[in-house]
Amino acid sequence: MSLKSYSRARAVHVMLVYTGGCNGCDIEIVNSIFSPKYDAEQYKIFLTWNPREADVLVVTGPVTKHNEKPLKAIYDAIPEPKAVIAAGACALMGGVYKNIHGDIPSEEIAGPVDKIIPVAAKVPGCAVRPEDVLAGAVAALPLLLEAK
Amino acid sequence: MDEDKKSSRPGVIETEITMGPVHSAAIEPYRVRLFVEDEIVKDAEITVGVNHRGIERIMEGLPVEKANSLTEKICGICSNSHIWNSVLVAEKGLGIEVPERAAYIRVIMEELERLHSHLLYLAHGNEVLGHETFAMRLFYIRETVMELLRMIGGNRVQYGVSIIGGVRPRCELDEMRIQKIIQGMDYLEEKIADFADRFVSDPMVISRITGTCPIPKKEALRLAVSGPTLRATGVELDLRRDMKEYDPFEFDVITQEGGDVKANLLMRVLESFESIKIIRQAIKDLPKGPITDRSWEMQDTDVIKSYIEVPRGRLYHSYRLEDGRVRGSIVRTPSMTNIGAMQYACIGHHITDAQLGIVQCDPCFTCTDRAIQIIKL
Ligand code: SF4
Repeated sequence: MSLKSYSRARAVHVMLVYTGGCNGCDIEIVNSIFSPKYDAEQYKIFLTWNPREADVLVVTGPVTKHNEKPLKAIYDAIPEPKAVIAAGACALMGGVYKNIHGDIPSEEIAGPVDKIIPVAAKVPGCAVRPEDVLAGAVAALPLLLEAK
Repeated sequence: MDEDKKSSRPGVIETEITMGPVHSAAIEPYRVRLFVEDEIVKDAEITVGVNHRGIERIMEGLPVEKANSLTEKICGICSNSHIWNSVLVAEKGLGIEVPERAAYIRVIMEELERLHSHLLYLAHGNEVLGHETFAMRLFYIRETVMELLRMIGGNRVQYGVSIIGGVRPRCELDEMRIQKIIQGMDYLEEKIADFADRFVSDPMVISRITGTCPIPKKEALRLAVSGPTLRATGVELDLRRDMKEYDPFEFDVITQEGGDVKANLLMRVLESFESIKIIRQAIKDLPKGPITDRSWEMQDTDVIKSYIEVPRGRLYHSYRLEDGRVRGSIVRTPSMTNIGAMQYACIGHHITDAQLGIVQCDPCFTCTDRAIQIIKL
């Protein structure tokens, strides 16, 4: 086991990027990591805001056109191995913003997330439930730990 | 830091510090430019726009029921306020009288939402202050409100209580729910009071926030600031006083003096108690009867406008109806005007206070990201 994966197994850093949803998912994710009730920190999942420190990228929101480039840049800045979790209906399929007008293409939304960066785990819900966020983060862990 | 510029005064270097759109200090994407001289912020500029999803344009031509539930997705913090106000617009236009019980349930939901928004504000404020213990504690207290919201609306964030003519059948308050709300209110009152005691008796925190980034009353009025941020400067202006939904309830409009971070934080704490008071009264006098009035007919209307007081200020919705579809929808959220206050609060203070100055005005850039340009007249 390399030093990197050794330390990874002990602390997973999650970075949250918000790409234009309604704020609901973000607060729930911060809540699930921060609030003592769900407290993901007890499973050694920490919130970070620095892409170079992060292992897991949690993306919420439907990715507006303006956010496409920053999202890619953030994804590129995260060191390998990395995993992306798309959280919320917006991140999974563009949510109401992309779909409520049927087949008419949306002028604002570039997403969903897996169109722009590869996604490892998908957490459904509008807004996501904190329990589901934890389950999603746990599902993405093997990807990080098994990589050399 | 982008670039160093030589200012006209020798020896003083003006620096521009930019943050965003994605930055660690703020969850939401927005861009702040701070022009700093000797660590003192000389000018500040906040730009939004990265989040633009064009909600009003998506609303154009949607059936009104669908459009109402779409307004909920404008903001995940005050989702109930948006759907409530949007439904009020339609009800005003179609002349619908909401059953009394439904009006009470709506008020209960709105006050619960105010509690959750204020607690979130306090938690966020404490996090920015660097006091993580307080922040976690507040998140824990807030969890009670979230559970109540989930119990009534079925979801923790987007609960969608109001529909045209009343509230959703699912949101009926039965005995069990009423008991839970009463218990929740007792718990919240005790815990928020505990928190407030600790908060004001912590000399470190108080010395950090007293007199930090004040907004004078005159300036707040000039910038058309609204909501608790305005009341923290000493102006007694609360739209709840004028809304007929709030007529049956007895509550005080809280004001503070100074408009600094301390006044703003205490403002939210004291307002939470008022919300608890309103919820208690509403539960006590909850009228019997139906919760939905379905005996209305769709017709075309003129442009209808509606203002309500939401946790962060004054919310405006307007549209007209044509064949049951929404036309020409306009939404204005409180943070739109409060951005001016955020910029003002930073100026003239130390750079380390800038983030506090922004956060003290309760920013919510998600909902604000629909405007295209602010024109000074
Ligand atoms: S999935 Fe729902 S709650 Fe989450 S950002 Fe999108 S609209 Fe908001």
